[in-house]
Order: sequence, then structure tokens, then C-alpha cells
Amino acid sequence: MYKKCLITAFEELKADYFVLMIEDSALAQVSEPGQFFNLSCSDGDIPRLKKPISIYDVDGSEIAFMIKKVGKGTEYLSKLKVGDSIDVLGPLGNPFPLVSGKSVLMVSGGVGYPPLVYLKKKLEDCEVISIHGGRSYDDIFLCDYPFTEDGSYGRKGLVTAHLEKIIKKHKIEVIYTCGPDSMMKAIGRKALELNIDCYLSLEEYMACGIGACYGCAVKVKADNEQGYIYKRVCKDGPVFEVKELWMEDK
Amino acid sequence: MNERLKTRLGRLELANPVTVASGTFSYDYADYVDFNRLGAIVTKTITKEARGGNPTPRLFETEAGLLNSIGLQNPGLDKFIKEELPKYNQWKAPLLVSLSGSSIEEFCEIVARMDEEDCAGYEINVSCPNVKNEGIAFGVDPKVVFELTSKLRKHTERELIIKLSPNVTDIVSVAKAAKEGGADSLALINTLLGMAIDWKTGKSRIARGVGGYSGIAIKPVALSNVWRVAKAVDIPILAMGGISNYQDALEFFYAGASVVAVGTENFMNPLATIELIEKLDMHLESQNISLKDIIGKVKGVIL
Ligand SMILES: Cc1cc2nc3c(=O)[nH]c(=O)nc-3n(C[C@H](O)[C@H](O)[C@H](O)COP(=O)(O)OP(=O)(O)OC[C@H]3O[C@@H](n4cnc5c(N)ncnc54)[C@H](O)[C@@H]3O)c2cc1C
Ligand SMILES: Cc1cc2nc3c(=O)[nH]c(=O)nc-3n(C[C@H](O)[C@H](O)[C@H](O)COP(=O)(O)O)c2cc1C
Ligand code: FES
Repeated sequence: MYKKCLITAFEELKADYFVLMIEDSALAQVSEPGQFFNLSCSDGDIPRLKKPISIYDVDGSEIAFMIKKVGKGTEYLSKLKVGDSIDVLGPLGNPFPLVSGKSVLMVSGGVGYPPLVYLKKKLEDCEVISIHGGRSYDDIFLCDYPFTEDGSYGRKGLVTAHLEKIIKKHKIEVIYTCGPDSMMKAIGRKALELNIDCYLSLEEYMACGIGACYGCAVKVKADNEQGYIYKRVCKDGPVFEVKELWMEDK
Repeated sequence: MNERLKTRLGRLELANPVTVASGTFSYDYADYVDFNRLGAIVTKTITKEARGGNPTPRLFETEAGLLNSIGLQNPGLDKFIKEELPKYNQWKAPLLVSLSGSSIEEFCEIVARMDEEDCAGYEINVSCPNVKNEGIAFGVDPKVVFELTSKLRKHTERELIIKLSPNVTDIVSVAKAAKEGGADSLALINTLLGMAIDWKTGKSRIARGVGGYSGIAIKPVALSNVWRVAKAVDIPILAMGGISNYQDALEFFYAGASVVAVGTENFMNPLATIELIEKLDMHLESQNISLKDIIGKVKGVIL
């Protein structure tokens, strides 16, 4: 759906993070964890491309986004106010497959955090353990195991450092991850090694967001000479199972 | 719709003068756009064999435009015919199939094969490298364009559109060659060559370095090319290059275009085509003119 929606809440979080809420019951009803919206970030100025933002929460007829200001598009979003309206295209992409009655690990980095929050809410009868990492204290949100690169909060280092220990300790059966590419690939490799199901929500630069332009390509294993084909993160993803992916570092 | 918006593209009478630029639009847009309201539909470029496309990143939005380096990723002719063509043919808007090859024979083979299927015509993408001519793009050499067009002409009675690249020394001579070869109409412009680098890291924004530059920034370039070609060649022009609203479209009609295509703007506003048609119609009505009255009628040019 492509709609103009009213902004019903705006909340500054710490540092460059904020939460934006829109109201639309039809959209809220069909918004699932792992899906995203392309949000319009322009009144005609550059950038004019819409920006992909994951669904952070759905509450009744409201949809929430948690966003980090990193450039002009997200800066535009950070200046919106309650009562303003915004063009939204979505929900787009395929949701995370939901499991029940399992021991689940969620691993996020930076703005990979929001889709996993909504996922956690939707998982039934699961024991969920969460790891979240960021550059410093400002990038850390509620989770079981916080990590910072500079050591300003939680454990110092990368989220991948204690991965195996945590997996074994909590007898993890399924992993969901979203964050920087290198982080997700490292987690994916560990999951392959330990033979654990692992779903990655990938990020790529997007234009159309609906599968038309083939701009958001990612390598997926295939039965051909090269061993891979390109699929579209926006339409074929953004969620992929680790076994499908061609696991090379960018 | 109505008489005001009717236009002619070579052999085709179109209900309105608005279509889409190849590669920027697909049936995926059907959730948002009523395809029956488009003057015509143009597909993404199809090649004989499937193409995997270029390494990533493939996109970057830069000064007033978009850089892309998709690399003609497409499923190949057979799969296109089997899986995609039926989807496009559910709409009544004339379907123009964009296609490309690595040799003249390959272009001919695709057109011959497509001629057994249902479609209204072909947009020939000549911006790709000719493997038999040291990889130099077909579209840069008027002689090659003449040979290609005249051979394709023998394979089809349908609308034959040659899509011109602006990355040439003299677009007018290429346009003339296409007409002499038997083209019914010309499409212009394809993307300009462009590049962007992250000054902080020194890293190219797209993996292939140079990509295709499109969007608002290229509008003046497209407009001048359309005007120059329209003056020199008397076959209809399907114009594209930074067209985002009805005002842009009007400029192209005055310059000599008979049909306009919306490309990059679809990404900014999925409803751009429909809004353009509606507002263009309102404008023409308010001025009590029809499209035919303004095509090629630019004023104030002193030669
Ligand atoms: C499916 C998907 C879901 C996303 N969900 C969220 C979310 O819930 N919250 C959120 O804050 N962000 C999310 N992002 C990332 C967000 O889309 C980008 O941060 C945003 O597009 C940046 O736009 P900008 O104009 O502010 O910055 P730009 O000027 O475009 O870029 C600023 C910096 O951010 C980097 N950047 C740009 N685009 C991306 C991208 N797609 N991924 C990673 N880095 C990028 C650039 O390289 C540059 O260094 C998501 C991206 C995708 C593909
Ligand atoms: C993402 C993208 C993909 C494109 N793919 C094709 C293509 O497959 N074949 C082609 O002839 N032109 C292709 N083009 C060029 C457009 O059809 C058009 O000529 C150009 O973008 C200028 O129009 P615009 O500024 O309105 O986008 C592509 C452009 C973009 C942005
Ligand atoms: S962004 Fe266009 S295909 Fe994914």
C-alpha cells in the first residue's frame, strides 16, 4: 500500500536515535516482524529516494519505527512532529518465519535492533536470549548481553566474541540476526558450524523497494557455474536463511 | 480518456502520451498503479540468455540524480516469455518489449522469437557492448545502428523503436541512421555515464565505478538531445530523462517529443505516471489545447 499517514507520536531516545509512530489500521493489521516500509524523506529536496525502515512495533492501529539519524534522509525524519504526515510504501518484503516452543537467540548490531524487538513480541512459548552491540553506550538498548566496541557499557568487544558460549549455555535452537553485514556473516558461519537454524535480515541500498529495479542485489547460492545468483533484498528478502546465502565478506 | 491526450508513436495510436522508462518499472508496480491507464508499458531490457547482473553496491543517490549499475540482470528470453509476458499482457496498454544483444544476429533472433508472441513492439537498447566490434557499444556508431536497424526491420512489422544513448559524439547522426534503417520511432535518452566517490574513505559508491546517471539532473541534457533530434529527423520521439511531473513533460512535448516516459521518478513516487497523466489532462483542458498543438512548437529559439 502507498499512503499518507499521520504521525501520532515522536520520542527522542538517546543520542541520534528516535521513535516515530504512524497511525493506519489497515497497514497495522498486515505488518509483520522483519518487514519494512519505504518512508518518504523529502519535500522535494535531495535525497528524494525513500528510505527503508523496519517495523519496530505494532500496537493496535499504530506502527512504530526506531530510527538512527545517519544522513540527510534520516535527519529529515528526525525533524517530523506529531500531526505531520508522511508518505509510506509498505509493508514490504518477507517476514521472519516464526517458531514456537524453542530456545531462541537474537543478535543485533546498531539499527538492526528494531525488527528483532517486534519479532520477540510475536514469538510464542519461546525462551528468548538477546545480544546487542554497538559502538558505545549511546548505541545500546535493552537486551540480555550488551556489548560495546569502546567498552563504555556492557562487555567490551564485538557481539560475536562470546557467541558460542552463549549458544551452548542457553541451548539455542534458532538464531535471528540483523545488523552490520560482517556481524551477520560471522553469526551465520557459527550457526552453520553448529548446525543451528539462522535467519538474517539483510540491508542493501534500495531504490524502488518493491522488486522492480534489481538495485538491492545479494548473492544467493545456486546450481550454476559461479555457484550463486543475485536475488533482491527488498522482494526476495530482507530475511534469508543462512543456508541459502553465498557467504563471502563484502 | 479523451482526444486531447491522444498521440502517435510510429505505427501505434496511444490513448495518452505517458509510459515508463525501461528498467525502472515492472509488474511489481501493479499493486499501486492501474496499468490500464498508461499510454504504453515498456519492459526491463531482456537478453537472449539470462544475465546475473553486476556486483553490489549497484545504486547510489547523488547530486539531483541516481547512479545505477544493474548490469541488465534479467531471466533471459525463454523465461521472460513463459513467466513475465503473460503478466504484462493482462493489461490493455500496448506492451513494448525492451531488448538487447551482444551481436546483430542475437538482436534479430530475439525479435524473430518475440514476433511469435503477443506484444505491440520493441524498444532496442543499443547502449550495450558489441562483442564483435571490440566491445564498443552498438549505439555509438551510425553505420552499425543503420545495419542493425535495417536487419531488425526485416523481422517485424511491429513498432520498432531505437533507444539512443547520450554517450556519443553526435546523437543526431545516430538518430538519422536509425531512421534510414527503418525505425518507426526513437527513444531518448538512456543514462549518462556517472560516478560517485565517498570522499571520507576514497571508496567508489558503486562496485563497477562508473554507472548510469539518471533523474532530475539529466533533464536539461535530455531536453536538448530531444530538440536536436526532433529538428533533424521526422519520426516520433519517446522522451525520457528526469521527467517527474506534468510540467517536465510539457517541456519535452514543446521540444518535439510525442510520448514521455517516467523513469527514476517512479522510485520517488510510485504514482508519478498516473499523477502526470491526470495533471497534464487538466492543464491541456484549462488551456483549451490538445497535445498535437504543442509537439515540437518550442518558441523563442533564434538560430
Ligand atoms: C530493510 C532495511 C531495514 C532498515 N531498517 C532500519 C531501521 O529500522 N532503523 C534505522 O535507523 N535504519 C534502518 N535501515 C537503514 C536505513 O535505511 C539507512 O540508515 C538510511 O537509508 C540512511 O539514509 P540517510 O539519507 O539518512 O543517510 P545516507 O546519506 O544515505 O547515508 C548515511 C550513511 O549511512 C550509510 N547507509 C545508507 N544506507 C544504508 C543502508 N541501507 N544500510 C546501512 N547503512 C546505510 C551510508 O553508507 C552512509 O555512511 C534499514 C535498511 C534496510 C535496507
Ligand atoms: C535502475 C535503472 C535501471 C535501468 N535499466 C534500463 C534497462 O534495462 N534498459 C534501458 O534501456 N534503460 C534502462 N535504464 C535507463 C532508463 O530507461 C532511462 O533511459 C533513464 O533512466 C533516463 O530516464 P530517467 O531520468 O527518467 O530515469 C535504467 C535506469 C535506471 C535508473
Ligand atoms: S530496491 Fe528495487 S529491486 Fe529492490
